[in-house]
Amino acid sequence: MGMLGLTDDHEWSQRHLSHYIEGDLHPRARRRLDRHARGCVDCGRGIRAMRALVYAVQGLDGLTGIRAPVTIFDRVRLAGPGGPPSSQHA
Amino acid sequence: MAGPDGHVPDAAETEASLLARAQAGDVAAFERLSGAYADRLFMLLLRLLGDRAEAEDVAQEVMLRAWRGITRFRGQSSYFTWLYRIAVNEANRALERRARRPAAVSIGARGLELPAAPEEEPSRQAANSELRRALGQALAGLPPPLRTAIVLRDVEGLSTQEAAEIAGIGQAAFKSRLHQARLRVRAAVGDEALVSSGG
Repeated sequence: MGMLGLTDDHEWSQRHLSHYIEGDLHPRARRRLDRHARGCVDCGRGIRAMRALVYAVQGLDGLTGIRAPVTIFDRVRLAGPGGPPSSQHA
Repeated sequence: MAGPDGHVPDAAETEASLLARAQAGDVAAFERLSGAYADRLFMLLLRLLGDRAEAEDVAQEVMLRAWRGITRFRGQSSYFTWLYRIAVNEANRALERRARRPAAVSIGARGLELPAAPEEEPSRQAANSELRRALGQALAGLPPPLRTAIVLRDVEGLSTQEAAEIAGIGQAAFKSRLHQARLRVRAAVGDEALVSSGG
């Protein structure tokens, strides 16, 4: 494979790192990325970075346990009983 | 979340029966039905909007729209998915309004206000605080459709199918948005910060 092929593989691999970690690549495409990443420091690190990104985002905000405000149904109550006004558009 | 009168629905009071009563105009049934998802829905709005006051306002609007539209809910998706979809649409409308306000403080300028996870060791909190800040800013800087994709899939942990349904697009289009979002966040934060986070 010449330099052009390597460059093509590199750019293609960089664009597909998220697909790779998501398991969205066709087996043939996955083998292509695996083969390239074995010899490419940037793409090997890119895979680790993408995995770390998803992991970090999963635990990012620490918002667990937050309760909805007690006012959340205020507008519904103001709209009044008697059934949802189905003539209005949601 | 308990209902407005503190009532927790029992096993016999199924979602289907609450839905039927709500569609017949029973506000209390609607509150019990939707109240079961209120906390989670509010957290989603906080994640998408990054502003508590705005999230509270939009949450009220989401419930009002759900109430007004509930007779048109036909059960083609789960009630949760339907409600979440309204929430995403309303959050995007709020973000559009915010973008049109010239004097508004842009969310991109300050980043999402993301507290450290309380269960973390202090040393890990310190080590990750910079990463959290960078991630928060990167997420806040994403266009709303991309931010919605990464929040639904990676933060909320929904399946691709469910997240795509909530976003109102096909799974292939959703995955495309998700991958774009991750690429942008990765570029904004940098590989070194991500890899050294040990994730």
